[in-house]
Amino acid sequence: MKWNIPSLEELEDILWRCTACGTCKEAYDYGPPPFSAPICPAGEEFGFEGFLSSKGKIAYARGILSGELQWNDALVDAIYRCNICGGCQSQCQLDHKPFIPEIIEAMRRKAVTDGVGPMPKQKVIAQSLSSYDNPYQGPRRVRLDWTRPFKKEGKPIKNILEEPAPILYYVGCTGGYNIPVRTVPQATASIFHKLGLDFGILGEQEVCCGSTAMRLGDAEAFQRIAESNLEMFRKLHEEKGVKTIVTSCAGCYRAFMKDYPMADEYGRMMEGIRVTHITQFLHDLFQMGQLKFSESLPWKVTYHDPCHAGRHLTKYIIDKEGTQLWAGAYVNLDEKDCLYDIPRELLKAIPGIDLREMRRIRSNSYCCGGGGGVMTGYNDWAQRNAGLRIQEGMETGADHMVSICPFCHYNLNQGAQGIGSKMKLFDLTELIDKAIA
Amino acid sequence: MTAKKEDKKGKGGKVVKALRTDKKERILKELKTIVGEKNATAEEHILYAYSYDMSFVTPKLPDYVVMAHTVEEIQKLMKFSNKEKIPVVPYTSGTNIGGLCIPERGGIILDLKKMNKIVKLDPEALYAVIEPGVSHGQLANALYKYNLRFGWPVGPPSSSVSSCAISHGIGHMNARYGLNSQEITSMEVVLPTGELVRVGSCAINSDAWHSCLPMPQMDGLFKGWLGSTGIVTKLGIAIHHIPPLLKIFTVSCDHVDDMYSYMLNLSNYEICDDLTAVSWWLSQVPIPYPYKPKPEDAPEWFSYATTFSFTEKEKEARTEIWEKVVNEEKNKGTSIQVTHYPEEALKARTQLPSQIVGSTKNYCKMGGAGISWPGTFTPANRWAPIYKEWKKIMIGRNLSPSIRMSMYRGVHYGMLRAMTPFNKKNPKETENARQAIVECLKVDLDNGGMPYKPPVDFAAEINKRAHPGYLMLMKRLKKFLDPNDIMNPGKLGI
Ligand SMILES: Cc1cc2nc3c(=O)[nH]c(=O)nc-3n(C[C@H](O)[C@H](O)[C@H](O)COP(=O)(O)OP(=O)(O)OC[C@H]3O[C@@H](n4cnc5c(N)ncnc54)[C@H](O)[C@@H]3O)c2cc1C
Ligand code: SF4
Ligand code: SF4
Repeated sequence: MKWNIPSLEELEDILWRCTACGTCKEAYDYGPPPFSAPICPAGEEFGFEGFLSSKGKIAYARGILSGELQWNDALVDAIYRCNICGGCQSQCQLDHKPFIPEIIEAMRRKAVTDGVGPMPKQKVIAQSLSSYDNPYQGPRRVRLDWTRPFKKEGKPIKNILEEPAPILYYVGCTGGYNIPVRTVPQATASIFHKLGLDFGILGEQEVCCGSTAMRLGDAEAFQRIAESNLEMFRKLHEEKGVKTIVTSCAGCYRAFMKDYPMADEYGRMMEGIRVTHITQFLHDLFQMGQLKFSESLPWKVTYHDPCHAGRHLTKYIIDKEGTQLWAGAYVNLDEKDCLYDIPRELLKAIPGIDLREMRRIRSNSYCCGGGGGVMTGYNDWAQRNAGLRIQEGMETGADHMVSICPFCHYNLNQGAQGIGSKMKLFDLTELIDKAIA
Repeated sequence: MTAKKEDKKGKGGKVVKALRTDKKERILKELKTIVGEKNATAEEHILYAYSYDMSFVTPKLPDYVVMAHTVEEIQKLMKFSNKEKIPVVPYTSGTNIGGLCIPERGGIILDLKKMNKIVKLDPEALYAVIEPGVSHGQLANALYKYNLRFGWPVGPPSSSVSSCAISHGIGHMNARYGLNSQEITSMEVVLPTGELVRVGSCAINSDAWHSCLPMPQMDGLFKGWLGSTGIVTKLGIAIHHIPPLLKIFTVSCDHVDDMYSYMLNLSNYEICDDLTAVSWWLSQVPIPYPYKPKPEDAPEWFSYATTFSFTEKEKEARTEIWEKVVNEEKNKGTSIQVTHYPEEALKARTQLPSQIVGSTKNYCKMGGAGISWPGTFTPANRWAPIYKEWKKIMIGRNLSPSIRMSMYRGVHYGMLRAMTPFNKKNPKETENARQAIVECLKVDLDNGGMPYKPPVDFAAEINKRAHPGYLMLMKRLKKFLDPNDIMNPGKLGI
């Protein structure tokens, strides 16, 4: 398979579109009323311009490309102090806007190919991916631990390699290995059972989606993993009748939607297969009247938009041929794939739910601080940042926060503990599972 | 400093100065003692991110970056820097479009963005007290709760209100209230020697920040000096009610003389918050780069006049005046027409602060990374002749003559400026723009124009023409306030 993953050198022209105007440094909307708020977790924590938003990251990229900055420990460290959350990207208006996360990742790819990246703690991920097919250094059999209660209840979950099913539930490594987050696949499988859906999982044969490798700049590891997944998905479609892949992980979803299509054979491998996030999947059923809420949940909640299921799914319209503006011009954006309204509609549909919005939502959501390899590389900072987000959630008067990403789930709960807050992060599936009979 | 500097050329015309000095470690240690371990650095990549801006000004590296959080830290820092004779460049967002935060002689970049408290907001007395890191977006958000506003520039929402105001910045109410520096009501400043001073009413009563008058206007010692006379740590600014009824009057015409005539006439009535005209090239989003001829049938000039009224009757009265002016101009035989202003351009300039124009989309989207400008405060009766000269210079260099003219409060002078984007990646294109801009600047200066926020190239041209007494006074004041010339040295061209 050939991959069209750009190198930093290939992005050189595009990163010279940045004027260093610093608009990316804070979230802003004219309104009225006008809205303004910090948007960059790295800038909040580390302050100096280089850390702050795309303006800073582009400065590093320019320096690296021009040779004015040479790799040293501090520079490598600096390029990994970023959540690749895309908050800065939402603010920028120039032609390189669509490529901002790409620029940051391309810098990391260069660090990896030059033998200096990622950070020591993150290197463990790469090793774990090659030894265990997951970033958590977890033996393969542990992947199935979350299914035990189902076995006990006499409702085993199909192994799709043994029994065909039209739906593959792709669990993801965080749901499988990260103990406090196992509630997410459990709620998902429970909902599927309650709805009587015919689904299966890959169990011990599930392989990481590769997102973490990609975010850390290890394109080689990513490609290896992604190719094996694409081949597996093709096989499952052809031999086991899989037509839909559902994932409850925002990171996996982002990888399948944005990273995998960079393979030249993506179209052929995925023909006849739909990839969907559990939220979208359940929303479709809800709209068709197949998902009905029967229980009331009298909870005050706020909703956190995960970067990977939100603004990362923005489609950027680029004038490739120069027919509208000029070749390479960023023309507009399309947010229809971003899961902004769908989770909110589901939440509001649950009887008793009182949804209170935070200030920073949708494309201006404030990252939990866990993404981009930060949770592994800089766990203290990830937790502190999550504490800031929890604080914002508490200001709404909500008791709990809801999201649709196991990564956010883990990190925000960590953040709540860090600041001694009683607020808990729930996955939307957990609420839905409670609200249906 | 007995620093040894090695210069090497990089891409984008960059010059990297690697500073090697025995002192460096000791100084960094001291800086960290003052502001805390995390808030002072000499890491090369951090310095690099402060070495350039969007202008044509040659990048230069500072030796240290320091992030201050309190006035006391700044005082200690200034005392130390003064003793060691280390240059200090105050910085909030670096978006001044004139290389004003590029450290001509290295030293310390003093980043003030984390000092971003709105210290006081008095919706009754109508003033606010802000720290230097308060951004336009942040202030707009806070004021709107009381239906209040300030003069928003067309700059980035994330840039500093105080840095714009002390640099004689222009906001969207300049025709009504004047420059943002005229809205300053009090100041707290750390002198280059570390003493804390106050000017305006807050100097007499620490809780009163309402006015710089009737005392001697010592705020002038810190306004328009490009951060070379002191660090402003608090600023009092006048704030204003937002009248509920906005009406924007838009006209177009074929000749700059006709536009000048219309603006002169309308400004006499003082009904506008902002009275601005832009050439066809500036009305495009973005400015065409390189130069592209205007379509034959398109007007060469567009104007928007924003008016705010409290009542329908007031709005009608403003409309009546505007209609009268338009009719008079038509009767004079000018080409003035009531027109539809290009929508995105109008939005960008009237819905402020704005990310559209603040992110330089209007200006640079086609050019790429670079923007600078010649011009600014210029007698209105010289606008038309200067424009004609500028147009020749700009087109001659394949650049769009994207000119803005704005009338200031109750007077017949105002902003004349050519926003000039360029491809900063390419040193030749950057130099081409720089030369065009300096040529245009000379024309403006020779016609009585005065650039604000001038890059060093401009300062040299200004000083060449300056009255000797002006230069002498300036030097004396600078020496008096900053005996060791440590603050933003080299910027004033004196
Ligand atoms: C697209 C665009 C449009 C713009 N439009 C306008 C406009 O309409 N009107 C306008 O006036 N400006 C405009 N600007 C310029 C600029 O955005 C404003 O002047 C802005 O508010 C400057 O803020 P800053 O934080 O970037 O200041 P900086 O660039 O960081 O600083 C500006 C100057 O102030 C000094 N300084 C900073 N802080 C202090 C302090 N505390 N004490 C003393 N000196 C200090 C610096 O050394 C420097 O000399 C525009 C810029 C852009 C990019
Ligand atoms: S990334 Fe975009 S918004 Fe940020 S400084 Fe560059 S041009 Fe401005
Ligand atoms: S991607 Fe997120 S963390 Fe990284 S620079 Fe942008 S806003 Fe900051």
